[in-house]
Amino acid sequence: MTISCEEFDQLLLEGDAASLLVAEQHAQDCAACLERLDDWSEISAVAQTMRAEWSSDTLWPRIRRELQLAPPPQRVYANWFRVAAAILITVALGASAWYVAHLRSQREFDRDILRLAVLDEVQRAEESHEKAIAQLEKLAEAKLDEADAPAITTYKEKLMLLDTAIAECQSAIDRNRQNAYLRKQLLAMYSEKQQTLREVLREENTNVTNR
Amino acid sequence: MLQAATIQGATPVTVVRDDHRLASACAAGDSKVFEEIYRRYGDRMKSIAFNHLGTTADAEDAVQETFLKIHRAASTYTGEASFATWIFRILVNTCYDLLRKRRRRIEEAPIDDTFDSIKRSAATVDDAKRMTLRKMLDELPEQRRSVFMLFEIEGLSHAEIGEVLGISEGNSKWILFATKKELQEKWKKR
Repeated sequence: MTISCEEFDQLLLEGDAASLLVAEQHAQDCAACLERLDDWSEISAVAQTMRAEWSSDTLWPRIRRELQLAPPPQRVYANWFRVAAAILITVALGASAWYVAHLRSQREFDRDILRLAVLDEVQRAEESHEKAIAQLEKLAEAKLDEADAPAITTYKEKLMLLDTAIAECQSAIDRNRQNAYLRKQLLAMYSEKQQTLREVLREENTNVTNR
Repeated sequence: MLQAATIQGATPVTVVRDDHRLASACAAGDSKVFEEIYRRYGDRMKSIAFNHLGTTADAEDAVQETFLKIHRAASTYTGEASFATWIFRILVNTCYDLLRKRRRRIEEAPIDDTFDSIKRSAATVDDAKRMTLRKMLDELPEQRRSVFMLFEIEGLSHAEIGEVLGISEGNSKWILFATKKELQEKWKKR
């Protein structure tokens, strides 16, 4: 196998027996590379004689004595203890986090239930208002249709305005039944309508008495 | 696997089992197993330490300190590297620590190359050449010196050196090549 001087370095870098054999073959025909290979091999040869050996009868007894005096080595169970402690802390943190989350969801559930209960109550109040208004309207119907007194005309206008406002409010509530403000407004308007209808009925009675 | 394991003719599976046995016994504080480790790897540990520190006294201190560190840290051995490689990593780091402490104490420590009781595996190479190479190695940065010593002197593979020094096998190969090239330049001029 013929190689160039440039490839010679690569063979020395590889350094295994086969590469050095090829390098040696090349060096036989190349004086510069031969000189380099000689130095290279000589350094290795000198290095191989530098392995130091000496007898030391005192070294092992000295080491044994020091080992006996040394504190006990770190046991494997010490690491297990750390792992167990880490697991315990992780579990405790996880349980705490779960408890807090559970508590929070419980509170949210209670709040939802409460909201639904309040809404039911409001619903019932609205229905009771509607029934009362219906009864009052029946009673006041004749008076409102026939009477031409200015006071009755004013009541009629007020009732019309209240009906329009109630209709708008109900329409808004249908879009968002949870809106407490609107439902409060509706109840107030129902109360106002009932009050107005009662006043209309009282007005009739007053007129009858005056006659 | 390291020579120590190969010499015993152990298969990779039995070596892995043996490594875990040694590590578990060390973690349990079994004093007999430390003696076994010393018998198995003590000579090589002394050589690695000597070639890093330059004196037998410091080398023995480093080996002793390494055993205490093994004693303390055996329960952390994961088996990713062979037990021998793991020990050598602790040893090399201990040598680096001692070198840094020494550098803080004195400018430069003389190399104890004349220690009479040290035997070398061959007497054919001139002592002067060895002295020259050692001086050149002392001028190298820690990592480059360690790669050279572990490969050329201790006979570790690049994969093992990578595990000991925390570098890739390819990087170990490249560092050795660059180091030898640098040494070669100086070697020519000596």
